[in-house]
Amino acid sequence: MPTTRTGPHPLAVGAVVLLVAMIAAALWNSDESGTGARQVGESAGAVAAPVAALPPPLPGASCAPTVTNPGGDNNYREDAPFDVPLGRGLVVTGLVRDTACRPLPGVPVQVWLQTALGSERENRTTVLTGPDGRYRVSTDPAVAQFGEPNVHVAHDPDDSPWRSVWQRHVLRADDTLAVVDLTLAPVS
Amino acid sequence: MRVLVAVAALGGALLVALALAAPHLAQASPVVVVSTLAACVAVAALAVQPWLTRRRVGAHVRVGGIVAALVAVHVVALVVESPDDALYSMSPDGPTRARMALFATVLLVVVTLLGLLRRRLPWSAATWRFVHGSLAGLVVVLGVGHAVIIQGALDGWGEAVLVVLGGLGAVGVVVRLVRVLRRPATPPGDTTAHDRGQVRTEDEARG
Repeated sequence: MPTTRTGPHPLAVGAVVLLVAMIAAALWNSDESGTGARQVGESAGAVAAPVAALPPPLPGASCAPTVTNPGGDNNYREDAPFDVPLGRGLVVTGLVRDTACRPLPGVPVQVWLQTALGSERENRTTVLTGPDGRYRVSTDPAVAQFGEPNVHVAHDPDDSPWRSVWQRHVLRADDTLAVVDLTLAPVS
Repeated sequence: MRVLVAVAALGGALLVALALAAPHLAQASPVVVVSTLAACVAVAALAVQPWLTRRRVGAHVRVGGIVAALVAVHVVALVVESPDDALYSMSPDGPTRARMALFATVLLVVVTLLGLLRRRLPWSAATWRFVHGSLAGLVVVLGVGHAVIIQGALDGWGEAVLVVLGGLGAVGVVVRLVRVLRRPATPPGDTTAHDRGQVRTEDEARG
């Protein structure tokens, strides 16, 4: 019985090593919470600045329009109930402006998220921004959905003069405030 | 071996109990519960899987089939629960944890196919074992890893049990790979070069 040892083919070893390196690179280059998703809860430093503290935009100022991020329209439905509270414990708010950085009052914004009592597919409401351009939704705290608590904010009415935009961002389950600002670009 | 199986079974039972007790599943749909429990059992099965290649190849093949079926249930249930979120998770824009799960799933398919096609591949036993084993090791690390970093039914103690089970599986892969690759090779021309589907271990050869 010969006792020669033959190891795995060098090509096989090289291919596996290359595969491991590619997987490591793909994981290293991925966004922890998904492309473009950021922490919007107060635990990550999010603060809704008091309106009085906001200086009026300078003439000629320009704000970059908010870009829909991947997954932003997950579970979106147009027919959200109007201005219904989704519970208490978390406030989702944000400032809606145009690209000249002027607050936009009376703009519909839909918010949807998973809470202990409502799945992300059912738990939604549409509210209008106030005179200061802010929307505000009171809800139960977010719970992990597909691995992490997340909140969606969108603007997408049929007859809006502003382009539709969808956002998906993440927060922590114990956050009591989440801030998602929108800058809307005109349709034409 | 029996101790390992007992530890994995206990670990699997703990995962199921912890997941069911967690508030995360309290209001969840039955589909999500099924998906989570299938994954819990799959982790326990993966923990023993490499150790079964020693003298229990028949069990290794059956458990491999069970793992593949459980992971299929896990993934399909998530797609049924929320197609948007499931497809987003599998897309290149998904979170890191989802990308780990995606790689683990694809590699599990490859590892299972390698198992099924073992006799048809014109590879040496050493090459086949290295590729099947090392990719299976990646499945364990990435699959259990995504379960550890995910927030949901298995946080806290659940994560500890996951790490123990994943560690058991990963160590098993390394130990078994080193063991079988160090063994003297079958002489060239031997008709049993590919073991005819049976892994004849040195333990058997010895006695």
